[in-house]
Amino acid sequence: MIKLENIEKYYANKGLKSYILRHVSTTIQQGEFVSIMGPSGAGKSTLLNILGMLEEPTYGTYEFMGEDVTSLNERKRIELYRNHIGFVFQAYHLIDEMTVAENIEAPLLYKKIAAAERKSRVADMLDRFNIVGKKDLFPNQLSGGQQQLVGIARALAAQPSIILADEPTGNLQSAQALQIMELFKKLNEEEGITIIQVTHSEINAGYGSRILHLLDGVIKEDLQVAL
Amino acid sequence: MFRLNLKIALRNLWKNKVSSFINVIGLAIGLAACLLLLIYVVYEWNFDKQAKNAADVHIILTHVRDDSGKVLMTFDGSTTALAPLIKSEVPEIKSICRMNYGGINLIANKENSFKRNAKFAEPDILKMYDYQFIAGDVRTALQQPKSVILTESTANILFGSVEVLNKTVRYQDKFDLTVTGVVKDLPDNSSNKFDYLMPWSFYEMVDTDARNLNFNNFSYKTLVLLHPDANLAEVNKKIALLVKNKNANETHFLYPLTKMHLYGKFEEGKNVGGAIEQIWLFMGLAFGILLIACVNFMNMATAKSEKRSKEVGIKKTIGATRQSLIAQFLTESMVLTLVSVVIAIVLMEILLPTFNNLLNIQLTLTYFNVKYCAGIVVIVLMTGLIAGSYPAFYLSSFNPIQTLKRKIKGKGFSLSLRQVLIIGQFCFTIVLMISTLVIYKQIEYIKNKPIGADLNHLVQMPQDGALATKFDLFKAQLLSSGAVSGVFQSSTSLIHHDQNFSGLEWPGMLQRQNIILFNRVITTYDFIKTSGLKLLQGRDFSEKFASDSGAVLVSSSAVKTMGLKNPVGTILKRNGYHSTIIGVFEDYVWDSPYQGNNPMIVYFGKKETGVVTMRLNPQNSLHDNISKIENIAKELNPAYPAEIKFTNSAYADLFQKEQRMGILSNLFGGLAIFISCLGLFGLATYSAEQRTKEFGVRKVLGASVYSLMQLLSLSFIKMIVMAIFLAVPLAYYVMDVWLQQFEFRTGISWWIIVTAGAGTLAVAILTVSYQAYKTAVANPVDALKYE
Repeated sequence: MIKLENIEKYYANKGLKSYILRHVSTTIQQGEFVSIMGPSGAGKSTLLNILGMLEEPTYGTYEFMGEDVTSLNERKRIELYRNHIGFVFQAYHLIDEMTVAENIEAPLLYKKIAAAERKSRVADMLDRFNIVGKKDLFPNQLSGGQQQLVGIARALAAQPSIILADEPTGNLQSAQALQIMELFKKLNEEEGITIIQVTHSEINAGYGSRILHLLDGVIKEDLQVAL
Repeated sequence: MFRLNLKIALRNLWKNKVSSFINVIGLAIGLAACLLLLIYVVYEWNFDKQAKNAADVHIILTHVRDDSGKVLMTFDGSTTALAPLIKSEVPEIKSICRMNYGGINLIANKENSFKRNAKFAEPDILKMYDYQFIAGDVRTALQQPKSVILTESTANILFGSVEVLNKTVRYQDKFDLTVTGVVKDLPDNSSNKFDYLMPWSFYEMVDTDARNLNFNNFSYKTLVLLHPDANLAEVNKKIALLVKNKNANETHFLYPLTKMHLYGKFEEGKNVGGAIEQIWLFMGLAFGILLIACVNFMNMATAKSEKRSKEVGIKKTIGATRQSLIAQFLTESMVLTLVSVVIAIVLMEILLPTFNNLLNIQLTLTYFNVKYCAGIVVIVLMTGLIAGSYPAFYLSSFNPIQTLKRKIKGKGFSLSLRQVLIIGQFCFTIVLMISTLVIYKQIEYIKNKPIGADLNHLVQMPQDGALATKFDLFKAQLLSSGAVSGVFQSSTSLIHHDQNFSGLEWPGMLQRQNIILFNRVITTYDFIKTSGLKLLQGRDFSEKFASDSGAVLVSSSAVKTMGLKNPVGTILKRNGYHSTIIGVFEDYVWDSPYQGNNPMIVYFGKKETGVVTMRLNPQNSLHDNISKIENIAKELNPAYPAEIKFTNSAYADLFQKEQRMGILSNLFGGLAIFISCLGLFGLATYSAEQRTKEFGVRKVLGASVYSLMQLLSLSFIKMIVMAIFLAVPLAYYVMDVWLQQFEFRTGISWWIIVTAGAGTLAVAILTVSYQAYKTAVANPVDALKYE
């Protein structure tokens, strides 16, 4: 599904190149649950951003679903976001002015899905995440864990084939973090959604099927997690 | 999608109350001011354009030339003989209509008498104007000499009804006329307005000059309706040929009536605009104010960009295109503008009477007029677009990853543009303030200039009916009543615009000097004594000298113009009449106080009645004096109302135009500074909010409140100072040009510039430092806990 070849990312500063990523090559298959780990500054988030086409690599090629997406124009990129990619952020990034239900509905609106269909999908999501009672609340009226649930629900509403999560539990208490991880695992196993997450936590990484260890921008280890 | 955008826009409005308030109030004031001025502009623009045939109606203008052919003056007067001549010779002319200038004359239904605007015109006027007849027949209304067409309101005040066809009204207490038509009231923006209209054939009966067909009395107006396909230049050529040998120094030409009001000013035969200049000024003011309000919106929106950028980032990652984001931001600005326009319309309703009063017109808001509504919609859309498009394009361009990483610092281009906008705003404001001060200084300067006559305690009234025929009796009764200490009759009021003449000859005159314009007042006894003019030499007219019927008084400038060494006793000649100077009085301001008035010659004549001027007895109360005069006048002259007017107020009317401009620039200057400061306040709030953390850290490190305030205020103060430096030369230039039109003018003093600059700066500092103080004294813990 994803094929990275010799991805490099550096910033040139006074003639010196400071590398964020070096020679990153890897392939991720449909249905994998990959955790990217490594110390601060290893380039984890940059890698995830490149995977999410939020940043462009300085060098190298990136194929997404068999298509070269290394440098894509905004229109096509947004097309991919609408249909294939769901983002989950550490800081949730819900839209403050929208209610829970509206937040979940937003990507469907952009995807131009008919009203009836939207309604049923939103209801389905609310139901699934047990937040029906909170559908008319605004994000700032929810706890962090609940906000992240909404964030995931929003990412799933558009029925993406892949979820990119940047430290999805970084701001959460451990009990809530567990809940989120269980959810990811379930989504991965039952619906076959590809999940790529950046995490600091060994425990979180343990939920996945594969771990990429990054150090100073280089993939040091590529482990299959023993089930 | 649109519904959600709308919902979110409303929520945003509600959530950010301070900025919404600033934006809505600013825009509402801006829109109200703009719409008010635009209504006025539309009113002026539509002058004389109401009639269906308006485009083909022309007025005959006359160039007055000197012997060398140079055009000295252009005016709208024409002669009685011109119309019949060109009507028969120029086939392009469909119809033609002579009329008089109109005057305030008495019309009565039995005892019910009023002085209203009267006009005489030939029947063809009904083909040029689409008067809406409530009663009567257009084709026959002006056929019989002794007939009259009333407007609806005239009919109502005379009879209390419009069902007055074939009833009789009395004109000037002398003639009985039959009502042959009642028409709807004429629009205010018509240059040929009347309250009642009478046929020209009747005018020929009451005015011998009108009956006399000639080519040298230019006291009438002529309107011409051309065939729609006529060539104006051709027609003018034909007219010029026809009148070639009729007039000595005058030529005629047709000028579109629809252009007369706005482009009616001629200099040396060339059109040099006219009221259109004022229209441009008003449009400039209208859009300037609106733009200032739009700038507020833009600044607030871009200042909030840090907050909004996160939203943009998220939306892009869940599939929003740039277009959909632009649509969303534009929806927000449109919603805001819509809310503002509702408030603006309320404001307009409240302000319209005052505004009407100020400009002395009757404007109304017509909500059910499609054009007006369309106009408002266009303005709203335009405002929303102007205010919203920059933020929309700017915000929607954010790259999601940068915004989500919170890298947007609001630096670089956006801030500098914001600075430019603020500087522009304050530039406009300061220019308006300086203009206001200069205009007021000019008015004060002129007001404080000596008039040369003692206008206090002077009152005047029109010399109608019996007041003219029995003036001596009236005068005697007034004097014996003790209400007045002096009375004189004269052909015109002490303060007047007209009565200029040329062709005066005096001993030692050079050949070409007989084209010098003098001003003529014709009076009888007690002129100097009553008016309080200062007699420099000689004496006033006196009953003791029978020869005074051939005597004149002259003003000191007349003596100077004629270069007389010993004026008293000098004999002046005009049209073969000789008159002897018996006295010289000091100049007084009888016309525009802004320039030197023509030299004045005061003739003696009992027949040339017009105005009675009286000096009130200061011993009695004003009220007593006035009521005594009223009683005497009513008794002697029951047919006419006693209309007593203070000469002072006639003089004050001369300042009206400038005073109006002063009030307008004051008003709009005030609004501009208010809206600009609102914007500044909003920006300071945001800037303070953004820097809360920085302030907290600085405070923990030991910064004083004052140094923190300085930190926040300084960047704003710098912009205002810059605006002052830009605005001062601009304002100086503009006002210098404005002052050039006055012969007597004040200068632009340094204190005006200092006042305007310091005033603006002070208001701006006050605005910003409130916010700065609030932030600076906040507890640093609160600030640092944030995040």
